[in-house]
Amino acid sequence: MATTPVISVRDLYKIYRVGDSRVRALDGVGFDVQKGEFCSIVGTSGSGKSTLLNMLAGLEKPTKGKIVIAGEHMEKKNENQLVAFRRKHIGFIFQSFNLMPSMNALENVALPLTFQGVSRKKRLEMAREVLTLVGLEHHMNHKPTQMSGGQQQRVGIARALVVQPEIIFADEPTGNLDSRTSAEVMELIRRIINEQNQTLVMVTHDDHLAGFADRIFRISDGRIVDIRVTGNAKKDLTRKQH
Amino acid sequence: MRFWDILLMSLSSLWKRRIRTILTVLGVVIGTASIVVMISLGLGLKRASLEEMEKYGSLKSIIVSEKDSYESDEEEGGRANKQTLVHLDDSVLESLRGIEHVEYVYPELEAEVMLLAGGYTCYTSVRGVPTKDMELIGLELAQGGLPEPGDTQLKFVYGNSVIGEFYNEKTGHGYWFDGTMAPVDLMNDPMICIFDAEKYYNFIWGNADESGNVAMPKKYMINAAGVMAGKVEDYNSNSNLIYCDLDLLKALLKKEFRGKAIPGQPTTISGKPTKEIYYTNLVVGVDDMKNVQNVQAQISQLGYSAESNAEWVESMQGQSNYIQLALGGIGAISLLVAAIGIANTMMMSIYERTKEIGIMKVLGCDMRNIQGMFLMEAGHIGLLGGLIGVALSYGLSFAINHFLGVSQMGIDLEGASSISYIPFWLSALSVAFSVAVGMAAGFFPSLRAMRLSPLAAIRNE
Ligand SMILES: Nc1ncnc2c1ncn2[C@@H]1O[C@H](COP(=O)(O)OP(=O)(O)OP(=O)(O)O)[C@@H](O)[C@H]1O
Ligand SMILES: [Mg+2]
Repeated sequence: MATTPVISVRDLYKIYRVGDSRVRALDGVGFDVQKGEFCSIVGTSGSGKSTLLNMLAGLEKPTKGKIVIAGEHMEKKNENQLVAFRRKHIGFIFQSFNLMPSMNALENVALPLTFQGVSRKKRLEMAREVLTLVGLEHHMNHKPTQMSGGQQQRVGIARALVVQPEIIFADEPTGNLDSRTSAEVMELIRRIINEQNQTLVMVTHDDHLAGFADRIFRISDGRIVDIRVTGNAKKDLTRKQH
Repeated sequence: MRFWDILLMSLSSLWKRRIRTILTVLGVVIGTASIVVMISLGLGLKRASLEEMEKYGSLKSIIVSEKDSYESDEEEGGRANKQTLVHLDDSVLESLRGIEHVEYVYPELEAEVMLLAGGYTCYTSVRGVPTKDMELIGLELAQGGLPEPGDTQLKFVYGNSVIGEFYNEKTGHGYWFDGTMAPVDLMNDPMICIFDAEKYYNFIWGNADESGNVAMPKKYMINAAGVMAGKVEDYNSNSNLIYCDLDLLKALLKKEFRGKAIPGQPTTISGKPTKEIYYTNLVVGVDDMKNVQNVQAQISQLGYSAESNAEWVESMQGQSNYIQLALGGIGAISLLVAAIGIANTMMMSIYERTKEIGIMKVLGCDMRNIQGMFLMEAGHIGLLGGLIGVALSYGLSFAINHFLGVSQMGIDLEGASSISYIPFWLSALSVAFSVAVGMAAGFFPSLRAMRLSPLAAIRNE
């Protein structure tokens, strides 16, 4: 299958300047991610995982290198264009859920659709659908403070899914959850990825959770030191790796 | 993002922090109310002074007189002015009648007169106006009437303040000196009039005139036609004058000053009297107040001196505009303070919502929408403050007019019953203004919000 990759990264560098010293957070990274693939990025603390993910999502500018997502060069966009790009193509799952405290689950999920200019009736309908998908059909009217961490993160997942993005990014989505809930949430994510043929890039430092993915990138000191294909991967994806 | 959604989000954010919103709005309320009340006082003052001026009734007329010869000397270099200096006569009157917007023109001839009545003397001006034009002056009479056409005797219409000008010949005291009114009945007492005052004093002091004579000037007995309405102290532009028929006055002056220069009349270069008696002024009536300045300018262009109350009205209005500006400025200071309050509230709100804004940006909320939300929030604070402020102003204005009654202010404003006056445009304008001030105050905070980094959402607090 000669499909073009959803994500294509080449020669990516990110150098932070702190006083006189320079921190090479990313030191020449390159990889591709195919449509429908679930990749996890693992590595020790400070290895550059979050930096990589933020740049993929257009939250930070690379120092050097190329990032092509859904056929568009992220490194050439200005902030306005990046916001617009995220609105249309990208879903984001946060470690600390980041739900709006004043809104209930339904309104939180509908929020990205509000930014797209979808009518209230339509967006609430869509949000209801996705909340049912993540198993929260009975918690639609709950405020974040009235839900458990696992439930909140499911709302977060629903919010990322509702715009039907090309790609979803997640930075330690289970970082604030206990191990049992983490596993439940990961199973949910895995199921939805399979059902909806979504593309997901997830950062984690937990090798066990990384194992839910199709492929695992291991990062150390800003470089990819290992790419491992797990047993979850579909055959056609496995064949394409280089 | 839909406009309605931006609006709802900004309103819900105001509602979430309602205590702070109310406090900020309160600042704007005070600011707006102080501007509106201050300006309303200025407007009330302006309206009152215009009503006061209208009582004089002559806001639509122009007084034309000869140009001061000194003036033309300077302008013309002294040589040519003998020809260019034009005296006012009937041909001038006719030419002024031809100007557009002019409704009527009538002449005035003024002379000095001494009145003697039972040991009391008065020195004042008599103004001759053609009997047929006398109605145009708009005199209000308390006694008698205006001179009739066809009168063969000169008759006087006394101004209501003239009686106060009489003083006792022996003591020199009069009404203005010690408040005792001269016991003179203008309407019925026989009045002895002397037009040549110089000759009279020469006679009194025993000075001989050029021809060596010491003679009493002729005394004329003149009857009253009427007396104007009003108390002695009630001043208006006619109250100190005596009106009479112009032609009869002219004939009398001609006879009285035969071969001599009449005081107030132009003379030839050698100081000899001119052949004719010229008018002192021409009064030009204009159809509308707004045309007065225009007609006045045309008359000035013809080489006459033209004066009207339009200038006075304009300068009065200019003055009250200044007062208003000053009053409004005082009020504006409190609105400025309120604006700083708005900016502060918005900054606080943005600091608190740094993370929220970051999340919105990660989720793809357009930067301009974010700015719009904050601008609207600030604008709503202005709107709410403006509306309540204007409502409060109406209340204050009512209270001022009600409790600080006209009489307490010591100004006699008949008809002008309100000290503070809020026209609709003022309230509409001030609401719009406070919204604009709110948005201006919220502008830089909103820029800041727009530029906040989305990474704020990623970092854990
Ligand atoms: N804004 C910044 N300024 C300077 N240095 C930074 C900045 N952000 C990250 N770094 C540095 O870049 C490196 C990579 O950071 P990053 O946040 O990507 O690590 P990480 O792999 O996500 O770690 P963790 O697992 O602890 O989240 C670190 O050494 C960090 O100190
Ligand atoms: Mg990290």
